[in-house]
Amino acid sequence: MIATIKAEWRKNRFRPAFLISSGLVAAVVVLVFMTNWYQATHPGQSDRPIPLAMLFPDQFVNDVMGAGFPLGAAMAIVLGAIVAGSEYSWGTLKTLFTQGPGRLTTWSGRIVVFTAWMAILSAILFAVGAACSVLIVTVNNHAIVWPAVADIAKGFGAMWLILTVNGMLGIAIAVLVRQSAAAIGIGVVYLLSIEIIAVRFIDGLNNGSYKWIGNLFLGQNATALIGHLSNAKGVTISAEQSLIVLFAWLAAMLVIAAGLQRVRDVT
Amino acid sequence: MENTTIVETHGLTKRYGSGVLAVDSVAMSVRRGEVYGFLGPNGAGKTTTLRMLVGLIRPTSGTATVAGHTPGDPHGLARVGSLIESSAFYPYLSGRANLRVVADLAGVDQKRVNEVLDVVELSSRAHRKFGTYSTGMKQRLGVAAALLKDPDLLILDEPTNGLDPQGMAEMRRLIKDIGQGNRTVLLSSHLLGEVEQICDRVGVISNGKLVRESTVQELIGEEGVLVRAQPLDKAEQMLATLFGNDAISRQDGALHLKVKPEQSSEINRRLVGAGIGVSELRPFERSLEEVFFQLTGERQGS
Repeated sequence: MIATIKAEWRKNRFRPAFLISSGLVAAVVVLVFMTNWYQATHPGQSDRPIPLAMLFPDQFVNDVMGAGFPLGAAMAIVLGAIVAGSEYSWGTLKTLFTQGPGRLTTWSGRIVVFTAWMAILSAILFAVGAACSVLIVTVNNHAIVWPAVADIAKGFGAMWLILTVNGMLGIAIAVLVRQSAAAIGIGVVYLLSIEIIAVRFIDGLNNGSYKWIGNLFLGQNATALIGHLSNAKGVTISAEQSLIVLFAWLAAMLVIAAGLQRVRDVT
Repeated sequence: MENTTIVETHGLTKRYGSGVLAVDSVAMSVRRGEVYGFLGPNGAGKTTTLRMLVGLIRPTSGTATVAGHTPGDPHGLARVGSLIESSAFYPYLSGRANLRVVADLAGVDQKRVNEVLDVVELSSRAHRKFGTYSTGMKQRLGVAAALLKDPDLLILDEPTNGLDPQGMAEMRRLIKDIGQGNRTVLLSSHLLGEVEQICDRVGVISNGKLVRESTVQELIGEEGVLVRAQPLDKAEQMLATLFGNDAISRQDGALHLKVKPEQSSEINRRLVGAGIGVSELRPFERSLEEVFFQLTGERQGS
């Protein structure tokens, strides 16, 4: 297991897809902060002005969570699809599976490294978000007040979970269709469109009798978890349920992908 | 007592869901220390068989033992190096970095990476990204990866595919070098000259079935006599009486007899005595190519 983790890390530490994603994630956070800063200082005729204090360090966790979902989740799907799908297009699966460690051991190493990368992406999100908030508060001559460490930890954990479960969705689809391109398309369209339409349809059925089904979808629970952390109003799914459902999705994707890798022929 | 065979299959069969029978009851045995050629035309089932031997494909039925274990067993794979079809590595990593990844997976000391790069003469270009390698360099890196574990058994599937004549010659030399000593090499190819030059024994597969397994010498060295005579039908009839129908075949207007060349004078005397004009009578030795075409039913030059 340690050997496969070492191999996967060696393979992925300088992987262009991860490096580019890290840069993109950082750029998205900067863009969100700078856009909001501009809108806060130039409210104009806006119906929903952004208070400048929302961009200060004590609020940075909420700001980062908003930047991380759904854009960060979409990026995680893309990364998951690339990580798993490229093994098929490059034919490297046969190289990996003929070295000695069993298929599930090799698979486990990949998952460990992927989840580590999701932690790195989460850390980049939080670090860049914190830096942006410090810049804004400093320019505006206010004192730097950080949120409680526990709040930062909760936010970081939630972001990691959301990125990881979405990344696993990308991995599972890529293993299922044995390629990256289709997996990226399916995964991103699911996240940004299909799920939203499906939930809206289910919630409207029979005066909302089947809303509980809609509450089992991935995006619904990610949104609810972020809502709870940022004290948003109108969140109907409890924090506990959102955590349970997200972990259930994670486990389901892991089992499906691992099962397919284990039993299918490598042709 | 140590087992003398390193690969043994019994009734190994692979049928795909579409109903295609890719490999049909193959029973092959590869002995320790030999260079075994696995011959067959394209699509005969060579690669499917080899993929089953390294555990990439599960057989539909039958059994296989590779290095004392079932295919795909981690203990067995630890003693088997393989290059199945073309070499496959990460294009954004250098040749050396790719080997380091493989070394990690195989549990091999990283020092071994430079050693195998030297063996395949790729050290000077090991820093370049795999995606920029020529076909020959890619194949050599594949062989290097297969050698990392210092394996008892090396399985090479069409290692000269896509190489130019010089690259093929270099790869042949490399395989010959690798095959010396106690290491066993299982080499799949449809290039007969390659196999004839390198291999001790061969297995010939056609339409998924193993149609012959023997030493190269046994295969090509079946002695015979070629007879060109007039009238040919009468000559054939007479020789069939002498040696039996199974010993005679007609090819290109001549008769091929599976008899010892020392019998030539006797054949000549009999034919002439029967009033048959003999225009050519000589011993012949078949090439591996001829044997291959005969066994696989493929037509030469087709």
